[in-house]
Amino acid sequence: MTEDVLGQANFFAFIFLFLWGLLIMLSHHNLIKKLMGMYLVQTSVILFVVSLSAKRGGTVAILLPDLTEPGAYLNPLPPALMLTAIVVGVATLGVSLALAVRLYRQYGTLEEGEIFRRIE
Amino acid sequence: MSRHLPVLIFAFPFLTGVAMPLVGLWARAWCRPLTLIALSGMSLLTLLLLATVVEDGPIRYAFGGWAPPVGIEWVADGLSSLMMVALSLIALLAVVYAGSTLVQGPLATKTALYYTLVLLLVSGLTGIVLTADLFNLFVFLELTSLSAYALVGVAGGHASLAAFRYLILGTTGASLYLLGVSFLYAATGTLNMADAAQRLPALLSSHVVLWGSVLIMVGLAIKMALVPLHGWLPDAYTHAPDAVSTLIAPLITKVSLYALFRIAYWVFGPETMTAQIPILPVLSWIGAGAALVGACLALIQRHLKRMFAYGGIAHIGLSVLGFSLGNQTGFAGGVFYLITDAVMQAGLFFVAAAASSMHGVRELGDLERLRGRSPWTLAALIVIALSMIGFPPTGGFFGKWYLVLGALERQHYLGVAAIIGSTVLTLAYFFRIFEKVYLEKTPVPARSPEELPWTMRLGLGVVTLALLILGFGSDWLIALIHATAVPKGL
Repeated sequence: MTEDVLGQANFFAFIFLFLWGLLIMLSHHNLIKKLMGMYLVQTSVILFVVSLSAKRGGTVAILLPDLTEPGAYLNPLPPALMLTAIVVGVATLGVSLALAVRLYRQYGTLEEGEIFRRIE
Repeated sequence: MSRHLPVLIFAFPFLTGVAMPLVGLWARAWCRPLTLIALSGMSLLTLLLLATVVEDGPIRYAFGGWAPPVGIEWVADGLSSLMMVALSLIALLAVVYAGSTLVQGPLATKTALYYTLVLLLVSGLTGIVLTADLFNLFVFLELTSLSAYALVGVAGGHASLAAFRYLILGTTGASLYLLGVSFLYAATGTLNMADAAQRLPALLSSHVVLWGSVLIMVGLAIKMALVPLHGWLPDAYTHAPDAVSTLIAPLITKVSLYALFRIAYWVFGPETMTAQIPILPVLSWIGAGAALVGACLALIQRHLKRMFAYGGIAHIGLSVLGFSLGNQTGFAGGVFYLITDAVMQAGLFFVAAAASSMHGVRELGDLERLRGRSPWTLAALIVIALSMIGFPPTGGFFGKWYLVLGALERQHYLGVAAIIGSTVLTLAYFFRIFEKVYLEKTPVPARSPEELPWTMRLGLGVVTLALLILGFGSDWLIALIHATAVPKGL
């Protein structure tokens, strides 16, 4: 059991971060805190996918002249994909912060309930 | 030449979109003509693509000469080229319709950025439709959504809050989708759809595949606003500027729905999705429920755009029901209904935009102001309403007809009941609209009819005509879908 948990530590770390992010998004009414939760969810997925390519004794996927066996390298695909996902995440964060700034300038607060009250 | 068609189609909106901010710096007056040229060129190429695909079969395009499954592959088959034709024509029509009248308020000072976002949105949707790679689909899903958040939120005020919520939910959906794709990748070691489809049958007992498929479906269900995950849609569509809601309402949810069923049928296959991982039966129940819930919620709305938004949610449910019946009739009916629904949503939001920008009508209570003053808007609304309810000879009738046939074939009687129930509810909420327009006794101030600009008349006319053409040409279109667009093994 302990070995199972330790062997899949990446998975448990991911679940912890993912659920924590969801909880923050659901329970907080401050827009910036919601964004933090959202970013935690995104990052937890990225962490999980990158950890898929981890391997004991493997090295980074840059071809070395004396190391021709493919098994000695880490799988380069998940990190490469996640590089794209990180860029997408940064873009999302940029747009969301811009929206938050827009709302703050107009209503002078970042509390969702308060903004609602001022709209009505 | 025809081998490169898929990527040429993408290049039109994408390159123009990327260049648009620079064009805006030098010559702002050129932004709109350039956008129209790009979308027209794209539309012509999609028609050519459809003709080529029907003639010679699917076109497979490997990027950078890396053969799939190593490289990224795009596939234009019958279904995707049909979707491309509908998508590009509706986008063109929406931009024509918005004209210079609707691009107003906060959009007017940022014309270049508005057209940039419109073109990026269209290129994102193109990518979703044409790609045959699961991760590539995620990137285009996010490109589409990011443009949509920005377009919805640009007006400030309530629209920004709606966009913020849309962003939070949309990003959660995208993260779930990405997680599901990474599960599938962990199980199969591939991201190419056709390659994954070959490897999956041997791995079906794996929990990783099961959870991967569930996560993908939930993620895309958020993006397409399938009840009960539709929370972001009504606010976003109601508060978005008119020039934006006319564009995103007919396109985004429909293309996300397409992506879901592209994966369900082309990666997992109909047999797997009904037997080992019973997602299709579940979706058919949810679709039936969504058709009823959406129509009920539409019935109790007072705000015109909000009512139409809920109507759209109900129609998404109907299309989902058709697609998930798991037989050819239902699938073809689903595709047909999806295209008809895109035209109807475009039409409804065109009408709402005309009513609010020309006559200041936003609530149902103000509708009487349209009487006798806006013949074009009302004539179009009558035809669209007939199609939404499902009267012959409009497209809506034939769509529902094939959905009912498919449901009967599968003996999904609750589905049939949901289609009929949703039809009655649709009749009821359009009755509320026309009651307000024609039966209210309050005297209307005698004023001469206000003319709509020609772009808006053109848009309303084309939508009306398209619904009738879809009705009269339904046999031909259904035959085309049966011949080219239905997945193998159905």
